[in-house]
Amino acid sequence: MVDVLMLAQGGGGITDTGITDAGKAIALGVGAGLGSIGAGIGIGIIFGKEIESVARQPEMKDDLQAIRWLGFALTEAVAFYTFIFGLIAFFL
Amino acid sequence: MRTRTKVLLAIAIWLGVAILLGLAFGSEGKNEEFQPQNEFKLEPWISLKVAGIDLSVNKAVLYLFLASALTVMTMTWIANRMEQRPNRVQTAAEVFYNLARSNIAGGNMDPRFAARWFPFVGGLFFFIWFSNMIGFIPLPINTEETIDVFGIGFPALALYAATANLSVPLVLTIVVWFSYNFQGVREKGFIRYFRSWLPPGLEDMNPVGKAAIFVIEVLSHFVRLISLSVRLFANILAGHLLILFMAGGLAVLLGLAALGALTFPMVLFFYLFEVVLVATLQAFIFATLTAIYIGGATAESH
Repeated sequence: MVDVLMLAQGGGGITDTGITDAGKAIALGVGAGLGSIGAGIGIGIIFGKEIESVARQPEMKDDLQAIRWLGFALTEAVAFYTFIFGLIAFFL
Repeated sequence: MRTRTKVLLAIAIWLGVAILLGLAFGSEGKNEEFQPQNEFKLEPWISLKVAGIDLSVNKAVLYLFLASALTVMTMTWIANRMEQRPNRVQTAAEVFYNLARSNIAGGNMDPRFAARWFPFVGGLFFFIWFSNMIGFIPLPINTEETIDVFGIGFPALALYAATANLSVPLVLTIVVWFSYNFQGVREKGFIRYFRSWLPPGLEDMNPVGKAAIFVIEVLSHFVRLISLSVRLFANILAGHLLILFMAGGLAVLLGLAALGALTFPMVLFFYLFEVVLVATLQAFIFATLTAIYIGGATAESH
């Protein structure tokens, strides 16, 4: 655990660069984490609605399957956008 | 009861190994020499500079060539060996071919354009699929670490994917972007095509509102460049990062042996998830969105 804290502080005591690095690490973690919340809710809505639709109209199952995967991938990508922007904030 | 005992026993052994490793090694300093994050660093193998542009051959180039060769060779090989009674390989290839033809191209474009653009869309699908899949096979590409086999240093096995590098998806996206705009302009003429960017139902709106919506539509067309490329790139990169970190990258970076034992079982899960779902799904999504963009650019009433 100490090592994680040391890594976040840039290896030494609390210096200016240490605080900057810690801020970047927090930005990456919090940004990607909050982004994942939104994508998680979205994916849940997609699968929930799909189950609901299939329960209402089982004959539509094959048509809905393709749309479900499209919606899933489009929504899941949002989590990765935040992750990539977090990485950009971390490394630049 | 029996299954439950087994599961509990497995979890106990897993945690026990982690705790034992933690007690035995603690944190004995970090290993600074081995840097697992170099998976994503592109070492120039053959340095090439043409007019100030870096055209060095590195592992991404190797993966691109591998993916193209695999795509062309497997598909022609299967096509030349077509039989009346398909064997297993042919059946699998036909399933994917049908998916690309009737589902991706046929489902999102008019039949005329589906026939014209199916080779492009299908080619994209298969190229990205092969490119993603060979990214999950360990290949001897890590030239920094070598394994001695009979005195000869071979490069160590490593994972990399051409699509985990932004340049490759971005180039594919730019090709897609220009081709759908080109097809739209050719089909409808310059002015009619750009007028068709406006959503229907705005006939009664005043010109200022129309202009504002047109600006938003123009922006959305340019954002497609980012969203389409970053979606593929970020999915594959995140998958590779997860596999890297769970397989021991975190333990090496932080110098905690116990962490490696804790995270290792998750590698299997993430690896299967990436190979079974994400690799195919991202190729499918890229091709489907290409077909949707071309279909939207050529559709009569937008």
